[in-house]
Amino acid sequence: MLQVTKAEDVIDHGLSLGADFAELFVERSLTNAISTLSNQVQSVESGIDFGIGVRLVFGSKVLYGYTNKTEADELKRIMGELAAMDLRDPRIVIQAFDYSAPIEHHPAHRILSADADVDSKVAYLMAADAAARASSNLISQTRGACRQKEQRIEIFNSEGLHTTDARNYVRATLTAIASDGQEQATGMWSDGGLLGWEIKEQVDPKKTGDEAARQALVNLSAKACPSGRMPVVIGNGFGGVIFHEACGHLLETTSVAKKASVFHDKMGEMIANEAVSAVDDGTMVNEWGSINIDDEGMQTQNTQLIKDGRLTSFLVDRLGAEQTGFERTGSGRRESYKYAPASRMRNTFIEAGNAEFDDMISSIDRGIYAAQMGGGSVQPGTGEFNFAVTEGYYIENGKIQYPVKAATLISTGPAVLKEISMVGKDFSLACGMCGSVSGAVPTSVGQATLKVDDILVGGQA
Amino acid sequence: MSIASQAEQILDRVRAAGAEGDLIIDQGEALSLKAKDGALEEHKVTSSQVFGLRVIKDSRVGTAYSEAADGESLTALVDQALLNASYAAVEAHEKILVNALKLETQDAQLSPSDHTTVAEKIALALAIEAKLAAKPMVKNVPYNGVQDSVGERRVYSTTGLEARSKARMMQCYAYALIESGDKNAMEGLGQAARRFVELDPDRLVDQAYQNTLDILQGAAIPSGKYDVIFDEEVLPSLFQVFSMMFSGKSAKDGVNPMRDKLGEEIADSKLTVRDLPLDTDGFGYTLFDGEGTPAQALCLIKEGALSSLIHNSMTGSYFKVASTGHGTRGPRSTLGVGLHQLEIDAGTADDTALQAGEYLVVTDLTGLHSGANPISGEFSFGASGYLCRDGARVQPVRGITVAGNFYELLKRIALIGSVQHWNWARSAKMPSIRFADLSVSG
Repeated sequence: MLQVTKAEDVIDHGLSLGADFAELFVERSLTNAISTLSNQVQSVESGIDFGIGVRLVFGSKVLYGYTNKTEADELKRIMGELAAMDLRDPRIVIQAFDYSAPIEHHPAHRILSADADVDSKVAYLMAADAAARASSNLISQTRGACRQKEQRIEIFNSEGLHTTDARNYVRATLTAIASDGQEQATGMWSDGGLLGWEIKEQVDPKKTGDEAARQALVNLSAKACPSGRMPVVIGNGFGGVIFHEACGHLLETTSVAKKASVFHDKMGEMIANEAVSAVDDGTMVNEWGSINIDDEGMQTQNTQLIKDGRLTSFLVDRLGAEQTGFERTGSGRRESYKYAPASRMRNTFIEAGNAEFDDMISSIDRGIYAAQMGGGSVQPGTGEFNFAVTEGYYIENGKIQYPVKAATLISTGPAVLKEISMVGKDFSLACGMCGSVSGAVPTSVGQATLKVDDILVGGQA
Repeated sequence: MSIASQAEQILDRVRAAGAEGDLIIDQGEALSLKAKDGALEEHKVTSSQVFGLRVIKDSRVGTAYSEAADGESLTALVDQALLNASYAAVEAHEKILVNALKLETQDAQLSPSDHTTVAEKIALALAIEAKLAAKPMVKNVPYNGVQDSVGERRVYSTTGLEARSKARMMQCYAYALIESGDKNAMEGLGQAARRFVELDPDRLVDQAYQNTLDILQGAAIPSGKYDVIFDEEVLPSLFQVFSMMFSGKSAKDGVNPMRDKLGEEIADSKLTVRDLPLDTDGFGYTLFDGEGTPAQALCLIKEGALSSLIHNSMTGSYFKVASTGHGTRGPRSTLGVGLHQLEIDAGTADDTALQAGEYLVVTDLTGLHSGANPISGEFSFGASGYLCRDGARVQPVRGITVAGNFYELLKRIALIGSVQHWNWARSAKMPSIRFADLSVSG
């Protein structure tokens, strides 16, 4: 996408300003997004994202800029403005580029630059809508979305790196709205992955519609949620957002290097109940959070974060490695050329255990079963987090009693990790978008159903 | 080729295809600085440009955008928008407005020249971090920065509209992480101004520090019902989360619970809510909306009664009312509606009345994006703040949740204060409101 001679000229210019490291991140992405409202196409949108990110490093200082233009003079102008306060004699010379194409671990066939497959995607969303509305006449409406992206990147840096990659993302979502004339409630189901529209061979629109409708109907009948401290059983799949928020963000060197993470000095220590082992794996074939190489050009890895409760690794990008001394883990990620890379999660999950679901429920006198989780957020400095329960049930005397609504779970990362006492066998992953310092990147969360012995539940009852 | 010439070429292609359309071109330049341990951690310089096209052909709408401005990409932009339109359902209500207005904001007012050097801005970023880090018990200042951004928007249409707005915003912000024994806390805030000299870093540092120190020893309070006052930062966020209640588009789509309640009492009679886009004191100032319709003041809730929804030309056409000038459309987004600058009328309660007895002041809510359901109005948020009695703080409060139904909450307004406050981003101006009997879990 960028001429090698031009890249060499610009990076050489960056080094001539005295930078220790210079990098160009070139991106051209195609996007296509289809939205439906019940059985009608609401919109089809498409776009071209194009830009070049410029990173200069002077010691521990990171200078970053971007432009939509490709002229060498514009790239050098950005570099000049960035380095204006740091000009010094050149420290290093550029290494000759050694092009390496990444090994393609995530094959994609029906990609956007070949065909947007609008008719097929619309048919999928229509089938999901039909299934949802067929399940009950209380389903008043559905909203469908199918989004596909083809991101092509090219990276050059002053250490001689020159590599390219293509990432193909696709995600289809249906939200069902149930209404009884007085109240409305929603349910949602989503499938996605790092592949092309061939995903339609793996997903079932009827299941999507049925599941979205089922959740909406459950929530429509839900009662107010009890509040207070109590045990909570958290469902598999997207329930893994608890680990993502409570722990994953705190293991990114973006927070660790600043000592803004409560875990920054806990390497090798027990930070979780020994029932907990956790992984961040970027290599899982065609999974939503996977990558071939990270956004700094390093081949990605499977990183064991916690083993039997003990902290074994952080998520480390290039800058984080320099700041903390830990080895890079292929975790440097960014939403686009508009962001400098930072250490980020990929497919992050608690590994399966041996507990039985029924044993978890029967062990609780008064508590909550959070079957489906929504999003959440965490304050890395203190580890305080919150996340929403989107499908919940009240447990009493060891039995699930009735659905509850509008519940939030509040705790801190260190506290909740020590309260996970039982981990089940029904492991699964789910798609999400994770927003942080380097933008929103696709990540998977996951876990088997697990039990937290004590956590604050915010409800209205 | 000039921007205007590129726009003309694009719209000529749209006309040649037998369609009508409008084109948004956003350009911007920004500087962002962050400090860490006495040195600059981030120094970001950006320039951006994006073309966003909407076409309507045979009553079908298609959109496309391109950040690449070469001839091939801009040709593809038109072709893709037309192709997308061919898949869309017929939308008889969405039209390109017959609007040949020439609208332009005043640069001297909204985008004043500022000759502050980069070195001075860097010095400010370093000073904010250093001063805050030097305060007692401050472990570090994990989030801080200075930003200077200028954004320019042009809107052109096949009917002759030419609208241009340009605005500058300078911001600084800081968050302190304080540790004492086994307690820690992180709080912060920011400031926004049009000119560098209007920023007051010493006040920022003192407020960020004091806010963090005050909340450090916070603890949960017993679960129960409390009167609650959301502070000037939190209250606008809460209204923003549930702003769908004013949306004509959500009403058209059938998901706005206020759809059929125009003229009905939906809130306590003390509440009057307006959108005031032409208030130049705020950073939500808007001369024209995403369709080029001139923005105007609009009363949304008048003494408790829902007096208007917000509309663009499409939702206005659907409900047979005029656009209220609340169309939103960016280069990458389709036509929607959105508030510009929400203001709530001052009430009559003085501080003595507002702060009588026991109440909870909420200074922070977490989980705003995940803990709310705008369709049902239900919410459950993490919260922190202060338990107060008769105007005095009794204890800092952390680790609690507040939960309820926003639409029911609007009917449980006990008192509205007599003084309006801007939030720090100067996007909303509201008085203190005391809500009765909110569920708190501790």
